[in-house]
Amino acid sequence: MKLLEVKHLAKSFGDLEVLKDIHLKVDKGEVITIIGPSGSGKSTLLRCINQLETPTSGEIIYKNQNMLEKGADIRKFREEVGMVFQKFNLFPMKTVLDNVTLAPVLTKHKSKAEAREYAMELLKKVGLESKADAKPAMLSGGQQQRVAIARALAMDPEVLLFDEPTSALDPELVGEVLNVMKDLAKEGMTMIVVTHEMAFARDVSDRVIFMADGYIVEEGSPEQIFGNPQEERTKAFLARFLGDEEQKNTTPAVNAVPGMMVGTVVR
Amino acid sequence: MDLSFLSVLLPMLFEGLKVTIYIAVVGILLGFLVGSLAGFGLIAKNKVARTIAEVYIWIIRATPLIVQALYVYYVVPKMTGLDMSSNTAGIIVITFNSGAFIAEIVRGALTGIDPGQREAGLSLGLTPGQTMRHIIIPQAFRSMLPALFNQFIISVKDTALLSVIVVNEITHQIESYASITFKTIEAYTTGAVFYLVLISILIIAQKMIERRLKK
Repeated sequence: MKLLEVKHLAKSFGDLEVLKDIHLKVDKGEVITIIGPSGSGKSTLLRCINQLETPTSGEIIYKNQNMLEKGADIRKFREEVGMVFQKFNLFPMKTVLDNVTLAPVLTKHKSKAEAREYAMELLKKVGLESKADAKPAMLSGGQQQRVAIARALAMDPEVLLFDEPTSALDPELVGEVLNVMKDLAKEGMTMIVVTHEMAFARDVSDRVIFMADGYIVEEGSPEQIFGNPQEERTKAFLARFLGDEEQKNTTPAVNAVPGMMVGTVVR
Repeated sequence: MDLSFLSVLLPMLFEGLKVTIYIAVVGILLGFLVGSLAGFGLIAKNKVARTIAEVYIWIIRATPLIVQALYVYYVVPKMTGLDMSSNTAGIIVITFNSGAFIAEIVRGALTGIDPGQREAGLSLGLTPGQTMRHIIIPQAFRSMLPALFNQFIISVKDTALLSVIVVNEITHQIESYASITFKTIEAYTTGAVFYLVLISILIIAQKMIERRLKK
């Protein structure tokens, strides 16, 4: 059974069509990465799924119920579909621990003690139990994002949405966040990740979706997308992206993409 | 210089100070309630609520405080048949006057919070109400404290205008003393210095609060 299914999803901001006829099926335990150029609608798709943006039309079927129907319990749905934001969006006046316990106490009616115990467990998991009493402003970006992941996990979500979780981080802090995400993937968490981290997309995801101009241009296994992309747009995007990575460092990302070398890029 | 007049004038000023502080404090507290309602009204999706808030703020901002005071004290009782003391009228005037300005402070503070905060709350399954109460309002309140305290200082000075409806605040005491003794220079000079010291203390308190908030 599909856990989550998006059908004919469209979103316009005024005259601007940001998403056009998007279809997406997500199995339990699947890790999906969405890649594509800026402005392709990746983040909007994610934000439409948990309805931080209201889709213009289409269906979002979760556990056999259309969440865009009148009377659908969006709040409950959001409990089960957590989100991690590019800019972390931690609550600045609350301690790390209180950031993590706030929602379970309010929505799941957990006792404070129970919520704290679980929160400490989660903070340990992301390697930040020593920062429980710190305020977010005292943490690095990578630490803040790990707290944000713990905060989302505290709701025991069925699905986690990641909206460019490492894009606001200094390069040296990206790894610690990706490692936490890799662990989650290994544990079987269902994840939809919008990212520019091609190595992560290649190594961790079960399926890669390439979006451009509001469409899903191509999707497939990481081997297919990175090794043998069919669409011109996908090829051009990957060539440019992997070319950049090649220039930046010596990550052998291009090795996974035979026949699509840096040299093919016109600069 | 003969300062013996102070033995009569100073006790009068301190009597006035009590009334001034009483009316300003009660007025700003009630004004905060009114202003918060109007502030939420300004950002409400409901058009009726928004219009009521806008009209209220427009009327207050477009009329002088002294006219508002005269209206509340002389006209409202005639229209309603309700008798009210000048202190009550004074509190009503400060409440609704400060409320209009506080509404703008509240609106600014609420809209100034990063939209990501609301999104984070909603994405965790909080209701919009819970998000407002537990996430947005605490941050907004903190950010508007300096402006609220500033409005309090303005309201303290505004109480001087309530002397026209015979509220026994500081300015009214000064006028009484001057008209009885004809010591105009002494009365108004002492009164002005009295205000200067009072407001300076409040300004120092404001600076201390702001410094604390920055930490």
